[in-house]
Amino acid sequence: MREITYLEAVREAMTQEMERDSRVFLIGEDIGVYGGAFQVSYGMLEKFGHERILDTPITELGLTGAAVGAALIGMRPIAEIMFMDFTTLASEQLVNQAAKLRFMFGGQSSVPMVLRTPAGSGTGAAEHHSQSFENWFVHVPGLKVVMPTTPYDVKGLLISSIRDNNPVVFIEHKLLYKTKGEVPEEMYEIPLGKADIKREGKDLTIIATGIMVQKSLAAAEKLIKEGIDIEVLDPRTLRPLDTESIVKSVKKTGKVLIVHEAVKTGGFGGELAGVIAESEAFGYLDAPILRLAGREVPIPYNRDLEKAAVPQVEDIVQKARELANLKV
Amino acid sequence: MAIEMIMPKVDMDQETGTVVEWLKTNGQQVTEGETILVMETDKIAIDVEAPGTGILNGISANQGDVLPIGTVIAYILEEGEELPAAAAAPPAPEPTTAPEPIAADEEVSATPVAKKMAKTLGVDLSRVTPTGKGGKVTKNDVQSSLAPAALSGEVVATPAARRTARLKGVDLSRVRGSGPKGRIQASDVENFQPGAGMVAASHIQSGGTIPLIGMRRTIAERLTASYQSIPHIQFTARVDMKNFINARNDYNELAIERGDEKVSVTAMLVKLVSMVIADHPMINSSLVENSIILHEDINIGVAVAIEKGLIVPVVKNANQKGISKIAVETNDLVKRAREETLVGPDVRGGTFTITNLGPFGVEQFNAIINPPEAGILAIGATTNEVVALEDGAIAVRPIMRFTLSADHRIVDGAVAARFIADLKTTFENPILMNY
Amino acid sequence: MKLSKENAEHYMLQMYQVRAFEEQAEKSYMAGKIHGTMHLSIGQEASAIGSISTLEPTDFIIGHHRGHGLCIAKGADLNLMMAEFYGKENGYCRGRGGSMHIADVAGGNLGANGVVGGGIPMAVGIGIGLKMKAENQVLLAFFGDGAASTGAFHESMILAVLFQVPVVFICENNQYAMSFSANDWTTSKKIAAHGEIYGMAGSCSTDGNDLLEVKNAVKKAVDLARSGGGPSLIVNDTYRWRGHSKSDRNRYRTAEEIEEWKKKDPILKFRAYCNKEKLLTEKEADQIKEQGYADIEAARVFAEASPDPKVETLEEGVYAP
Repeated sequence: MREITYLEAVREAMTQEMERDSRVFLIGEDIGVYGGAFQVSYGMLEKFGHERILDTPITELGLTGAAVGAALIGMRPIAEIMFMDFTTLASEQLVNQAAKLRFMFGGQSSVPMVLRTPAGSGTGAAEHHSQSFENWFVHVPGLKVVMPTTPYDVKGLLISSIRDNNPVVFIEHKLLYKTKGEVPEEMYEIPLGKADIKREGKDLTIIATGIMVQKSLAAAEKLIKEGIDIEVLDPRTLRPLDTESIVKSVKKTGKVLIVHEAVKTGGFGGELAGVIAESEAFGYLDAPILRLAGREVPIPYNRDLEKAAVPQVEDIVQKARELANLKV
Repeated sequence: MAIEMIMPKVDMDQETGTVVEWLKTNGQQVTEGETILVMETDKIAIDVEAPGTGILNGISANQGDVLPIGTVIAYILEEGEELPAAAAAPPAPEPTTAPEPIAADEEVSATPVAKKMAKTLGVDLSRVTPTGKGGKVTKNDVQSSLAPAALSGEVVATPAARRTARLKGVDLSRVRGSGPKGRIQASDVENFQPGAGMVAASHIQSGGTIPLIGMRRTIAERLTASYQSIPHIQFTARVDMKNFINARNDYNELAIERGDEKVSVTAMLVKLVSMVIADHPMINSSLVENSIILHEDINIGVAVAIEKGLIVPVVKNANQKGISKIAVETNDLVKRAREETLVGPDVRGGTFTITNLGPFGVEQFNAIINPPEAGILAIGATTNEVVALEDGAIAVRPIMRFTLSADHRIVDGAVAARFIADLKTTFENPILMNY
Repeated sequence: MKLSKENAEHYMLQMYQVRAFEEQAEKSYMAGKIHGTMHLSIGQEASAIGSISTLEPTDFIIGHHRGHGLCIAKGADLNLMMAEFYGKENGYCRGRGGSMHIADVAGGNLGANGVVGGGIPMAVGIGIGLKMKAENQVLLAFFGDGAASTGAFHESMILAVLFQVPVVFICENNQYAMSFSANDWTTSKKIAAHGEIYGMAGSCSTDGNDLLEVKNAVKKAVDLARSGGGPSLIVNDTYRWRGHSKSDRNRYRTAEEIEEWKKKDPILKFRAYCNKEKLLTEKEADQIKEQGYADIEAARVFAEASPDPKVETLEEGVYAP
């Protein structure tokens, strides 16, 4: 099978779906002739024209609201907010409107839109261009939150998200754009709300999101040499969460380490820990539930500080080793 | 000059030793050659002597620790000498013996009954949770404190460990934890072997030493207390067991018909004795301080021999239960006694004990009372004997001798004799149980 | 251009229905039968009915929190509307929305909104969608002077013009954003001027209490939008008789001011017009008034007899299947 990058997979998903369904269109900043801040929509203006590739001036709130309105009237817009940091500007339309219209109106309407946004640190872009807020949106009933980590996953999940009749916040880690993987040429769906075991293991479960999946897999490769066999579980969709798969894995290993890039306090790890502690898996825990996550700090500019602010492979190795050896 | 005490090698292929019990602790004076530590290898428990005279200090190995031979585990110091820098921060040895008797009565608020009971049973009142008025420790509180630590929630174990313990019927308070701060992990429970640290009777080799710890020690102490403080009087009677045996057979036919559990001799004994005791309340009592407490419930303890000693599970309110029910209960209690999975409530609250050495062929014996009870009935073997009947004829009958040991402070000769007579009559006419 | 008698009757009835509805809602609220709060539009009837009278049944509106009049003007079923206000299961929104979040999607009313300016960016998107559908539909997007100061409004103006959406933006300037006097920073003319600056040529302001003036201005803009001429901004200069919400103590305006504006009552103005043009006699107008109040009374009875939602159904309807 051919290999393409995560970025190309996103573009392919959007392109194929737009060819299939005339209701789908893109709206965002610099997505037209510029091809998108990360070049995700490169070539799409030529293919679909101005009628379906809607370039806007700097109007996060306006463009997001426009996506909500278009969805309300039966279109299937894909809005892009260039950096997750700027979803703060769009959140009125996302949280107060998109998430609530269906419920508020007693089921009379729906908002089938996707809001795509690149997130995460590691590019030296510092405080205002490096954040991860997935947890804020997980917190809102009415939204769905998806965080794909591989080219294969991102294509299938984006197609499913576009076809979903609810507002989906679709989070792409910037550092994943250039990663390569096998991706089928035809269209396929990966259901929302289903986790994926990226690596099977028996000694310990790592639940990771975003780029931490890749880092956890690298850590697992190191630790297997010490005889520690790690299972890496990628939830893929954060809301709704695949609790069943998580419980199954934790019951199997009895030890769980949660790894995410976003800040630890109030981060998604807390939610996962709560879910595990309240579940059947609790009786199978042989050690406390551990979380390894971003430090309590905005993302700094200096490269070493930037690295130190979020978990790295070595951090995961150390923590997993401690847990496996029941030193915690 | 500090003298190192090491984990010694005593066997050819020995690589590690396990600390069983320190007989002296940090700061105490020891003499060269004095046994100050009991240690265990695969096969046997070993006395370890102090390598010098001085003050024991810097103990770095505690009960259950498994260490390679040659590891320094303590130092003998001269007066005023400091521990060598190399000594790791010594953890204080945890108490390895049965709870010490109360240090200061006056400090703990307890009822007089409770205080006396605690003294007799060797319970530290300050460690008992009081439930009486004004926060006093009551008699029941003292009895409750004899429950395993697991029931009072002092055990730190992971959920997986607790689950495994539940599934395997393991008493968590007996498991040693290998996790951080002694936390019990699932693997600790999985690898737990009951009796570890104790020497099983069947493994005793001649020429070794068995340390008086755990159950062995408790039994020793209680029997000593009973023997020394209770004036025992013993009464033996001889009974014709023909009707008893027939009655048991009848019950068993019924049980088989109904698909119920078979009625053991033990069950019959429990029921019979409890029914007779109902007419003799003095036998079902306890002497505490200056009062004789007549118990309302008749709870019959059944002595069960197990590998490491003796345990007495209790059938509560035996006089109020049918024989079939008692059979089910006694079967279960005896089974669990042998599997060592009895819990506190199983062994508490007894008011009278039956001990049966009949199956071992013992003709007759005098048992020691189980405090705070007033009596114990020792059942001997049933064997065919030649007897002279009323009319002078000779017959062969199944004869059993039982002996009642009673607390003479409570039970006078006549009271005991009347009880014995009643017992004999009932053994020989079991339908009298329900008359 | 003159109205037909039929239309005159229709608009008169609607105006009275709005007036009666607001008065009843207020009564029910004060009697403790409606909870939360409400934002009454008494005095703004002409702006609502005048604007919406220009639409085809297949056109759309989107509104704001003071939108009871907009709902009625768009042809809402009064019973279902009142039931929603009472929080009942058979209300338009199954009791989930209430006064501030009421919608009648099948009837082309895409909803009220609890966030000032919340509907304006959505209006742009609805316009984009309508344009893509190419079925000649238009949208009237209502908001107040309060929203005219928000970022949402200004971003939306830019995007609306950029995408030439078939939307008529209607600002109902009732002189106050809660307690903040619009006249401290703007006027209806100035707001309308924003429209022009952003590139909406047909933007203008009207006497919002004159039903016909409103109707004419909006009609022009609707025709422009429908023919592909893009968005307009119409500002209806009007006044609300009651406070912002039920907890308003009217500290920011004088009783005299309120009385002055009451003299410009849009209903009386319209009656006068109908009388003058011999469309409706005073008697006929009174009959229509009675009808309007009777319709609302029937709605009240309906609502009070309607069932409450079951608590077991709490989590229904959050997600679309």
